[in-house]
Amino acid sequence: MPRSRLWDLLTYAVLVILSAVCILPILWTLLTSLKYEADIVTREMIYWPTRITFDHYVTLWNQSNYPVLVVNSLVVTTVTVAICLVTGTVASYAFARFRFPGRMPLMMGYLVVRMFPAVMMIIPLFVVMRQVGLLDSRVGLAIAYTSFLLPLFVWMMKGFFDAAPKELESAARIDGSTRLGAMVRIVMPIARNGVLATCIFVAIAAWNEFLFALMLTTSQGSRTWPVGLQLMVGEFQLPWGMLAAGGIISILPVIVLFALIQRAMVAGIAAGAVKG
Amino acid sequence: MIGELSETRYWMYLLLLPSLLLITAVVLYPTIYGIQMSFREMRLNRPDLGTGFVGLKHYQRMLNDPIFWLSLRNTAVWVTFAIILEFLIGLIAALALHRNLPGSRIFAVMILLPFFLPNVVAGHMWSLMLDPRLGVINDLLLKAGLIDSYRAWFADPATAMAAAILVEAWKSFPFFTLLILAGLKGIPTDLYKAASIDGAGPVAQLRLITLPMIKTIIAAAVILRVIGLVNSPDLLLVLTSGGPGRSTMVLSLFAFQTAYRDFNFGYASALSVVMFILLMIFAWIYIRLSRINQE
Repeated sequence: MPRSRLWDLLTYAVLVILSAVCILPILWTLLTSLKYEADIVTREMIYWPTRITFDHYVTLWNQSNYPVLVVNSLVVTTVTVAICLVTGTVASYAFARFRFPGRMPLMMGYLVVRMFPAVMMIIPLFVVMRQVGLLDSRVGLAIAYTSFLLPLFVWMMKGFFDAAPKELESAARIDGSTRLGAMVRIVMPIARNGVLATCIFVAIAAWNEFLFALMLTTSQGSRTWPVGLQLMVGEFQLPWGMLAAGGIISILPVIVLFALIQRAMVAGIAAGAVKG
Repeated sequence: MIGELSETRYWMYLLLLPSLLLITAVVLYPTIYGIQMSFREMRLNRPDLGTGFVGLKHYQRMLNDPIFWLSLRNTAVWVTFAIILEFLIGLIAALALHRNLPGSRIFAVMILLPFFLPNVVAGHMWSLMLDPRLGVINDLLLKAGLIDSYRAWFADPATAMAAAILVEAWKSFPFFTLLILAGLKGIPTDLYKAASIDGAGPVAQLRLITLPMIKTIIAAAVILRVIGLVNSPDLLLVLTSGGPGRSTMVLSLFAFQTAYRDFNFGYASALSVVMFILLMIFAWIYIRLSRINQE
């Protein structure tokens, strides 16, 4: 066998093993969520159930506050993305297109901010949010999320703007367009995929976030699903089947979004991290 | 009207203003507030104590607090072993994906996926699989003859940290894969051609071309991951809550619980300030040693 064939074989072996290690825990959780409780709690492990049920999903959805938690998470995620989109896009555009005094220090500032420990932020944020009445509110939590997601958004988005050609913009300017006009009508459509990828990355991060939400929400009205799920485990000894069902419901949107825009998102994350 | 404004020379500052205001409000102000809080008494469950200035009291307490020193040691173990595992697996995955064989795209989706999953769900997935009574991993290991009875991986101080590190490595190795893959794309293929003409085998090529070329990216990835590992106690909070017997208590978790469970905001702030300073010192030394700033 020629040597390159051997390497191809080895490569596939590595890829198959790693993919299996990554995917099997998710599949096992999916399988658990579809098993009857009697098939989960057994003396002899049942690997492939002979019967399946959607009871865990139905019970979780109808008899717990999971729908409320999911709606809260959706609201927090949407508001977070909206804030990042509005404030972050223009900031990253400024960094990508203009050279001005203070540019480097400001960019470095956005980078250093990412190193601040979450715990160090959460404790004072709790006190500050309580003072201004934003504690235990979905908007307050979204604002808190921007503390680590906005810098991320700016760096990632800057990479996409850097990659967008400048010539069309110059042409529009020569044709009498203002800088604002060129930005809105020329650059934004070109960078559309980048904006989408960055927004999805931020959305996934906000949707998944646990620590800030645990500290900054205290009631049903604003609690997000990761906190709710964790509390259900602690308080009601949530059965494995329902816990697995909750996990699957919650990661479904993440998996779908990730699979759809994986390439652009991965490129953006790499660019944002490496240039820093 | 804004169109006209965009022609002035302050336009870029105007574009930056909203995000700067926001960062000031949610990052800078709370940070300063937090540092200041570490010199104050602040216990939410003891309002009678007030919020007076107590100087270095919290920092002195820390020096004599055995839990602090234990958490510091655990943090070092947690970060060191997780980084080594994540880097090695991440590198192997990136090298394999970079060969771009047919099917690589779908493999990439599967391999990168864990990094995007929520810690809460990742934690419970593994708690389920490592469960002392129902865990599939116990069953598999038993059938393979590697253990002679089901083990309580997270309840045994001897295995809890190792099990948690494995879960963490599973979740975050794709971060290295992602960055290294981006780095590999930037290496000119001519280099490899020249090397193979000179008779360098795959191992020599990896050592002499690939690793030196992606040195900067590896350094950046390590720094970012160390920051992530030191700062976020999420996964440990879900898996072990620091137990059993504080065998998996790390600094970030200790600080978080001091605030969340004991409501001692002053001490918790002092702990996180120390954590931040240690992280900065590490980052500074590391950057000097790896010389990423020279390239």
